[in-house]
Amino acid sequence: MPEPLFDYEACLLACARGEQQALRQLYEQDCARLLGVAKRIARDTALAEDIVHEAFINIWNGAGGFDPRRGSARGWVYSVTRHLALNVMRKKGREVALSDEHEQTLAAEPSTEHFEYRARSGKVYQCLEHLEPARRSCILHAYVDGLSHSEIAQKLGTPLGTVKAWIKRSLAALRECMA
Amino acid sequence: MTPEELNDLAGEYVLGTLAAEQRLHVQQRLEHDAPLRAAVEAWEQRLLPLTELAEPVAPSPYLWRRIERSLGHHAVGDTPPVPWWNLLALWRGLAGAGLLASLVLASLLLTRPAAINPTAYVVVLTAPQSQAPGWVIQASNDQQIQLIPLGVMQIPADKALEFWTKGDDWQGPVSLGLVKPGQSLSIPLDKLPPLAPNQLFEMTLEGPNGSPTGKPTGPIQAIGRAVKVI
Repeated sequence: MPEPLFDYEACLLACARGEQQALRQLYEQDCARLLGVAKRIARDTALAEDIVHEAFINIWNGAGGFDPRRGSARGWVYSVTRHLALNVMRKKGREVALSDEHEQTLAAEPSTEHFEYRARSGKVYQCLEHLEPARRSCILHAYVDGLSHSEIAQKLGTPLGTVKAWIKRSLAALRECMA
Repeated sequence: MTPEELNDLAGEYVLGTLAAEQRLHVQQRLEHDAPLRAAVEAWEQRLLPLTELAEPVAPSPYLWRRIERSLGHHAVGDTPPVPWWNLLALWRGLAGAGLLASLVLASLLLTRPAAINPTAYVVVLTAPQSQAPGWVIQASNDQQIQLIPLGVMQIPADKALEFWTKGDDWQGPVSLGLVKPGQSLSIPLDKLPPLAPNQLFEMTLEGPNGSPTGKPTGPIQAIGRAVKVI
């Protein structure tokens, strides 16, 4: 990861001790990136700010419970934000209450649209390159755009069952490749 | 649940493709299910680099204040505007300027006493018979004198007053020009030797164009000598 200079672990420890300046430093370090992650999923800047707001509250309150043996501090900060955004979007999706079948009929027009991205350095990018473009798009639309199975099916014009199977097999392939 | 199923669930949870109920279920299990937690954390680490694909978005200036307010924190790093009367820099600047001004003034006081003393010489010109004062001469330096009338001297209509001065060691008096009765004048002495103590000043009654000889010819109307002011 490209931020070796910022000590996330020390920052979370300082937050746990109640040092407000540490949270401020984390905000200055990562707020724009976290907001970017939240906005891609929430698709709305104001909603993304609500999510990042809640994320910082959770980071402050949860810093004491963070265990560095279980994962990287930076990863935890991003996970907290991403999962808040995903919770919001999945909850929204349930309220819209579109059935899988209904969405399948919506996805009548096959689309060749793939996730546009430039591969970067890192194991996960190398392993993504081994996936077929359509399958890679499923993974990226899910992780980066926060799309559900049915939204991806609709977007790619691919049957829902196929999308579900692709994602399941792609995850297994990634895990094997990255092992 | 087999390790394979556990891994699939963890992968889909981190990827974000689980439905709301399944997500909630996984989040509840994470509290106490260590193997699931380990699988989820492994997936978080694997996929974390993909967060770079989201373009950073600049936060609005209110976001941090909102976070602080929610946490009940008071302005950290983002100090509220300081009122002018509490600006340290302002008072430091003013104190520095005041100190500088007092040093400049003190140095002027020590190096230029003449400039502070408004009058270096005074001459009182009095009528020779009555001793009545008619004019006062003030000189704040030895290059310039101020002639100040104390009244309006009466002189015949066809005559003029001529102003003279003579230092102790001079050959004779030098004309400083014609002066009208009651006139206030500033006269430069830059063509003459510097003003000296006991220097003579006088007014004589001359023809309308002044003394024809360049030396006093008429009766003295007022006379006095320069006195240095201590």
